[in-house]
Amino acid sequence: MNNNNYNHKELAQDLLELGKFYFLNEKYDEAIKVLQKAQKFNPFCADIYYHLGLVYEAKNNLHNAKVMYLKATEVDSQFTLAQEHLDKLVGK
Amino acid sequence: MRQFAVIGLGKFGFAVVKTLAEKGCEVLAIDKDEEKVREASGFTTQVIQLDATDEDALKKVGAEDIDVAIVSVGENLEASILITLILKEIGVKEVISRALNPHHAKVLQKIGVDRVIFPEREMGIKVAESLVSPDILEQIRLSPNYEILEFTVPSSFTGRTLKELAIRTKYKVNVIAIRKKVPCINESGESDFKEEINLTPDGEDEISVGDVLVVVGDIKNIEALRKEK
Repeated sequence: MNNNNYNHKELAQDLLELGKFYFLNEKYDEAIKVLQKAQKFNPFCADIYYHLGLVYEAKNNLHNAKVMYLKATEVDSQFTLAQEHLDKLVGK
Repeated sequence: MRQFAVIGLGKFGFAVVKTLAEKGCEVLAIDKDEEKVREASGFTTQVIQLDATDEDALKKVGAEDIDVAIVSVGENLEASILITLILKEIGVKEVISRALNPHHAKVLQKIGVDRVIFPEREMGIKVAESLVSPDILEQIRLSPNYEILEFTVPSSFTGRTLKELAIRTKYKVNVIAIRKKVPCINESGESDFKEEINLTPDGEDEISVGDVLVVVGDIKNIEALRKEK
């Protein structure tokens, strides 16, 4: 069971790295697909939500971007970068 | 440099003071409430606690040398009208007053205010428009028929150049800038993006997903362009 969890986390991390690659190359739809998959394997990784937020914001889908940044800050309350993006979108 | 004065340091007045100070303007902040004056002193060096309905007090602080005065005294109609009148009489070049309702605005106009603003009404219109058309990010009316509009590109534009889209010939609208979010790695090594603005777009510039076009033209033509799917 523990081994299984560990594998899931690793898989999520690999998918996150792939998502980052797609994001940096402006392949936003591909990035969303792999990041959503990553999130299923590890729903407690704030970085995955942050990257989903970035991709949605880059696409100007601001509603989804806000939802993702909010999730990132819920998972990790010290995630300042996600908080900064959220504050900017909400208009603080 | 123009000298500004903001009279009344409620939320609106405070925001005006803060923004003007951040932009490097000389701004005199006035309120009769000591607490508000203290709060504003964090942003601007020229802060005075006085009752602005007192003409002599205003003259003593050199209010006649002010170029632009913004009167935002909140719910007190009488004070707002009186202060506006005093400022006009002592020779302030431009007086901008916040009105609470159309009757208040009418009185302000009659006593010679240069500009009346309705912050709540204007923000209400902006919020409603953003709800109806979420793709519109900024709208500046140049005249009843012309405007500058910032909007997110429709999906059919992505991957095509401005030349291919032929916006100017097809819609008689000029693209004056393209805003892009460019993915990057920031100084801390984290994924992020930076905003880039192309102020001299030409025919070869390709539109990407999420780009924002800044266009100028006839309102009807811009509307037709925006409705393009």
